Amino acid sequence: MISQSKKVLFLVFIFFNGIINSESILIQNATIYDGKNNNAFVGNVLVDGNKISRVSTANLRGDKIIDATGKILTPGIISTDTGIGIVEIGALSVTRDDSSDLYKIGFSIYDAFNPNSVLIPWNRSNGITSTLTLPQNTDSPIGGLGSFFVLDSNLEITGIKDNVMIGRVGGSGGESRSETFSIMEDLLEFASSIDSKDMESYQDAADLIDDSPIAETMELHPRDLKALYRLINDDLPLIIKANRASDLLKLIKIKEKYDLNLIIMGAQEAGLVANKIAESDVPLIINPINNIPESFDELAANIELAGDLERMGITLMFNAPRSHNYHLIRQGAGVAVANGMSYEGALKAITLSPVEIFNLGDRGQIAQGNIADLIIWDADPLEPSSMPEKVFINGKDIDLTSRMSRLTDRYTKNKDKPNGYRN
Amino acid sequence: MTKLIKYSFLIFACFIEAKPFESTYEPLPSENILIRNANIYDGEGNEFNETDLLIQDRKIVAIGKDLPVGSEFLIIDASNKWVTPGIIDIHSHMGVYPAPGVSTSSDGNEATSPVTADVWAEHSIWVQDPQYALALKGGITAFHILPGSANLIGGRGVTVKNLQRNTINSMKFPDAPHSLKMACGENPKRVYGNRQQAPSTRMGNAAGYRKSWIQAEAYLSRLDEYEAKSEEAKEIGYAPQRDLEMDTLAGVLRGEILVHNHCYRAEEMATMINIANEFNYKITAFHHGVEAYKIADLLAENNICGALWADWWGFKHEAYDMVQANIAIVDQALGGKGCAIVHSDDAIGIQHLNQEASKALAAGLRAGFDISKARAMNWITSNPAKAAGIYDQTGSLKVGKNADVVIWSKNPFSVYALVERVFIDGATAYDRKNNFQPASDFDVGIISPEKNRIEE
Repeated sequence: MISQSKKVLFLVFIFFNGIINSESILIQNATIYDGKNNNAFVGNVLVDGNKISRVSTANLRGDKIIDATGKILTPGIISTDTGIGIVEIGALSVTRDDSSDLYKIGFSIYDAFNPNSVLIPWNRSNGITSTLTLPQNTDSPIGGLGSFFVLDSNLEITGIKDNVMIGRVGGSGGESRSETFSIMEDLLEFASSIDSKDMESYQDAADLIDDSPIAETMELHPRDLKALYRLINDDLPLIIKANRASDLLKLIKIKEKYDLNLIIMGAQEAGLVANKIAESDVPLIINPINNIPESFDELAANIELAGDLERMGITLMFNAPRSHNYHLIRQGAGVAVANGMSYEGALKAITLSPVEIFNLGDRGQIAQGNIADLIIWDADPLEPSSMPEKVFINGKDIDLTSRMSRLTDRYTKNKDKPNGYRN
Repeated sequence: MTKLIKYSFLIFACFIEAKPFESTYEPLPSENILIRNANIYDGEGNEFNETDLLIQDRKIVAIGKDLPVGSEFLIIDASNKWVTPGIIDIHSHMGVYPAPGVSTSSDGNEATSPVTADVWAEHSIWVQDPQYALALKGGITAFHILPGSANLIGGRGVTVKNLQRNTINSMKFPDAPHSLKMACGENPKRVYGNRQQAPSTRMGNAAGYRKSWIQAEAYLSRLDEYEAKSEEAKEIGYAPQRDLEMDTLAGVLRGEILVHNHCYRAEEMATMINIANEFNYKITAFHHGVEAYKIADLLAENNICGALWADWWGFKHEAYDMVQANIAIVDQALGGKGCAIVHSDDAIGIQHLNQEASKALAAGLRAGFDISKARAMNWITSNPAKAAGIYDQTGSLKVGKNADVVIWSKNPFSVYALVERVFIDGATAYDRKNNFQPASDFDVGIISPEKNRIEE
């Protein structure tokens, strides 16, 4: 069975193949971290159209040559927890499209995505080539759908719609976490009972909701039902935000009971239950720079967490502490390395791991046949002071101008003119 | 002299000389130390390689090659390592917004009136905040704790040593001046505007500051008038009644209390400079100043520091015009006369101010400025020390200053550099190698009874 997300992916690829660069690009003599393998090597990468057509240590020929001698080449960086495209200014609700009062589980942000957001050129010029954009948590402990977006600024969105569901346990809520887990399990029981026939018509779905105490109590809509169905039947990745060790264990039990594709985000106390997380193969999204015991759920927060979890064989991805600068996962990755994680592991956490965990297609690794999302860096990408010199998305050499670079120019060049008359 | 007059005179004496809540800080036991063969950024814009630093009686006594010492000195080999002054954060809310961030210790904003010059951040500080120790591992030896930005005039700030103690007075930095937190822009007008009270606009903000300064001027002139009286006249007259709010504002007008002004937009900073000129007080630093680069020369002309982030933006409309070269542009104003500070306002950021400075420096170099790492080190050492009024005591490795010193494993402008050892007043406060680190009472037995919260 081709899952829904894979169908979308398939369509996306057809779309990509329509855009073919007329000439091939050869990135020559780069120090290549391919995102997967542990050792960097000096080699050449040929980009043909939107794809990487060759990766080799041998000489290659291309129409356009870019000399990357002494430069590091990595896959484009993928940020797994962002508001890119749906939040322009945090404190201005009129610029936010990240929440819904009506839908609890099937709320999708996909159609709200703004390819012209100023966050896109900024994060892209700092190395982010694609992103998982997630909504705010809804009133339900599971619910709200995130999507994958390629940051190509194309008004026709390139991405994968509704490819992840989110959820939350613990934190600031006033209710008992036991109630949260009960609602979660009731919803999952209900979801398991849904037959595809039940959703053939709006009326069928509405009837099903009426017959289910939990669906009725939570005032679910047919849209919510479809999302629940996908969660159980399509192996939809479910990212639950949770931190306390006991919550992590309970989530692992729920994962096993309902055979969920669970990813835990936050996971500040994962170090206390690392064995169980490793055993049940739950990937984590952590912020390696965040060692603050910000709540009573996060008392075990520790700067050495990333390295400790890596040594247990747990798959890691990273998020960043502040809105808007999602590229700071690079700094987080650097801090993780400084505190005990392997360099290659940290790089994988922001390139290939998100692709593997969220089925993002042929990305995240510099390999023949993959989409050419590539970055040539001016120095070590895990040093926050480094910046990309070149960013390729879908094989296209992207202009790195951003609103920030324009404003910088405005106030450092042509200062004899009044600012309104500068470029 | 009647008893009554004597008493009122005493009150008045307190008035000018009043120093309640004085620092009772005492340093940790120290040794005399030679840090040998280090690479040094001295916080004065200089870099020295393979150089020794000598600490004696808690002070820096020499910096130079191959310094000879007697056997009573502890010798620390710092070959291939880096040494800097203790890092100083000019904008912290540790203690007043401690971790865990719960309502019961959320004590940073007295958001009950737009002018609360009477409140002092030091009276909110929770001394068991587990965040101090984390900052220490980032090389922080002193930091300036401010009230929040809900109010136009939010109250007094305080500078402390980064040594957790059981009373606030024993953490206070000796002889550090008091500061006053003021705030422009969205926060005060949102907090009070939402309650249908003034200020609800930026013009309401400006009116609010000016009204307060008019009151402060009147209060100060009553004080001056009283002080100018002869002793006899004082004996028969009454001292003006003390007013906590006016005490603080008069302290600013007298130049004793340093103004730290939260302000994002260029035109609002310019307005605040106008107000400062109107009432003849000085603004020490604008904090956050996401648009400081637009008026960098104006800041330099007025000797006002920009205490800034390397890259925060977008959380508010007034933080939309971020450029990463902001700090460098402020630094380089008027041919390098600017005062730039990298601040954190954040318990994570304070642990990595070196990395924040590194990002700001890199952006400055990309914008075409010629700035050395040694100069960029001033942004997190001597410049914040100046803005906190403690530069005579710390903030650089000048002979005679307090031995507040950090040893780094690598160049501190690298993300891979770890703090190996921190000295505060010549005493080891943190030592990575020997796992010597403080833990607050909060950390004790809170996850499992036999351990501290973090055990490495």
